[in-house]
Amino acid sequence: MYKNYLKKIFHWKLIITYLTATLGLTIILALTFGAAHISPFTVFKILLAKLPLIKNLITPSWSIGEATIILQIRLPRIILGVLVGAALGVAGTTMQGLFKNPMADPYIIGISSGAALGAVFTIAFGLSIFGMYTIPLMAFAGATAAIFLVYNIASVRRKLPVSTLLLAGIAVTLFLSAIISLMMYTSGEELHGIVFWLMGGLWGRNWNHVLMAFPFIFLGTIIIYIFARDLNVMLLGEEPAQHLGIEVETLKKIILLSASLITAAAVSVSGIIGFVGLIIPHAMRILVGPDHRILLPSSALVGGIFLVWADTLARTIIAPIELPVGIITALFGAPFFIYLLRTRKRAMF
Amino acid sequence: MPSVTLRINNIACRYETANVLENINFSADEGDFIGIIGPNASGKSTLLKSISKTLKPHTGTVFLDERDVYTLKGIEVAKKLAVVPQESIISFAFTALEIVLMGRIPHLNRFEMESTKDLAIAKKAMQLTNSWYLRERPINQLSGGEKQRVIIARALTQEPKVLLLDEPTGHLDINHEIEILDLIKKLNKEERVVVIAIFHNLNIASQYCEKLILLNKGKIFTAGRADDVLTQKNIEKVYGIKVRVKRDELSGKLLIHPQRKRIVKATKGRVHIVAGSGTAISLMNELVDNGYDVSLGVINIGDSDYVAAKTLGLDILEEKPFSPIARENYEKNLKLIKQAEYVILTNIPIGFANIKNLEAIKQAKNLIIIEKEPIEKRDYTKGEATKLYYELKAGALVVKNSHAALEVLKKRSEVL
Repeated sequence: MYKNYLKKIFHWKLIITYLTATLGLTIILALTFGAAHISPFTVFKILLAKLPLIKNLITPSWSIGEATIILQIRLPRIILGVLVGAALGVAGTTMQGLFKNPMADPYIIGISSGAALGAVFTIAFGLSIFGMYTIPLMAFAGATAAIFLVYNIASVRRKLPVSTLLLAGIAVTLFLSAIISLMMYTSGEELHGIVFWLMGGLWGRNWNHVLMAFPFIFLGTIIIYIFARDLNVMLLGEEPAQHLGIEVETLKKIILLSASLITAAAVSVSGIIGFVGLIIPHAMRILVGPDHRILLPSSALVGGIFLVWADTLARTIIAPIELPVGIITALFGAPFFIYLLRTRKRAMF
Repeated sequence: MPSVTLRINNIACRYETANVLENINFSADEGDFIGIIGPNASGKSTLLKSISKTLKPHTGTVFLDERDVYTLKGIEVAKKLAVVPQESIISFAFTALEIVLMGRIPHLNRFEMESTKDLAIAKKAMQLTNSWYLRERPINQLSGGEKQRVIIARALTQEPKVLLLDEPTGHLDINHEIEILDLIKKLNKEERVVVIAIFHNLNIASQYCEKLILLNKGKIFTAGRADDVLTQKNIEKVYGIKVRVKRDELSGKLLIHPQRKRIVKATKGRVHIVAGSGTAISLMNELVDNGYDVSLGVINIGDSDYVAAKTLGLDILEEKPFSPIARENYEKNLKLIKQAEYVILTNIPIGFANIKNLEAIKQAKNLIIIEKEPIEKRDYTKGEATKLYYELKAGALVVKNSHAALEVLKKRSEVL
């Protein structure tokens, strides 16, 4: 029996190794796509040349222009795609587990509408206090304000009933959406920009965007992973979890806040990319099972891989025009998910 | 005060302004099996929740190994105390073994993976609860009984000193109920685990618990040995129903029978019954349940048919115990028989004491005789009864049992 158990652990390690390798390969391959044709081999060499120690061994066989395209234009966008995809995967898994609700996604408690309000406000009034970073900063401010609002509406005597949380999230989302609609209705010329932001996308993002989002997403994910086993127990219900020694109310607050900040960071740099945070966790639950110790890392990795490919498609499918990546994620992700639903026996919920 | 495993010290709980629990004091030590009984809303679940650190009482303290559970960390409590809920809804596809292994969490560090020792403990618990064969099955595909056995295995995997159960078998079939309770009893006796369990079924509580706490409106009505708690007086007062308490011949435990009253209004015709020695108990109950107006007579006081009829609140013509039917009662019986639409004679022995009942039946409009044995075998009048009986039988409908008699009545009323 212990052999079976070790096999499971080995299996987990295998999954993580395999997905990490796929992610690495995805990044390199995605770097080769674009208007300027640069071979995978060159891409690989350009990347290696940035690494300490190894860089002395590599003789540059590429132009400065090629290096700039790879390192300053494509790479930050792809890394941001990985970050945002991973963030949505982790936050989606967490929210579904916390709410024990298959319809939950990272935006469920109103984070997206808060971020959207911040962004739409900035676009509609043409604010530019922080230059090109005004939109993400305002979006992040809007998202955190929404989290704060929902959290305070829902908490009763220092407790946080998840059903109230869910309803408070819906109420706040509806209210903020109404304000957004009003602004869109009266915005005139700025409408296109607003719609584009709302659909979500990664165009024109640079290393600064990566640096803005990274600390929140990285730290949030680490914190949630620390509580992965506790999240498993939470699936049994709050009272049974408490009977197994989990400090339920504290855990809920930590988990909710972490997942919210991850989502806020992702939304503020990418807009509202739908589908990833809802479907990736479901797909991974079907594939690797409900244990958060494997589910969280694999949702993060697959979320990243999926979003990078979706974004690659979005920028190349009808080049030079770029599609919002949200359209691609749903267009290609949904049929794949339906296929999984129909072929896998292991029930997800 | 001597050290005990669990001590409940004067706790009181309130929801909003209503008192749910008041002045609760008791303690439990190794090997105790304590049942908590009481009607709905008497505070049973609240009591269990305050012990398990789920609902902090407003006043009072719960001591686990002489330490206040509300000052202990959740994980410290979980090492010593496990809870089995009434029902678990788990909608995720964890395997049964994964669920059981969660019971080891209080004993593991945050990043520690389960060791061979933990797996061995889980395996033992699953074997004890007869759920080892379910180990690879997803929990959400198990039946109620299977799932509850897995959940109990999880509780045992915590290696608790105290096991709290909230109606652990409320959703189970009787075979699984007994299986699980036997298992809990075994753990209680062999491993000396303190068991505190809520029971709705008083007979089950009586079978398994040595000590009982009877709660009423948030207070301990009475507590102590099962024999002292489960008295007719206590139960009738707390539950507000009539009961009969008997001792089970095999187990020596008390059995509680609720007493039935008429629940269906009498809308159909009058049926008069001539019976005795308990031959008409089920017949009377069935007739009453089917809406017939039933009378019984003449019957000796104390006869089991008499007791049953009394409970059902029927019209009874009674005669002193062991006395033959008096003239006056015979007349009255005759009157009842003439009034009745149907008269039913059950399979009774006839002696000189009750032969007058047979004579009276001659006046019946419609007579149904339930005959299981020939009259000759139950005639104690040297043939007199047999003669009368055959006269009656000529004009009567003879059936084999009370059920058939009821069918006849039903069919007749359809025709009418």
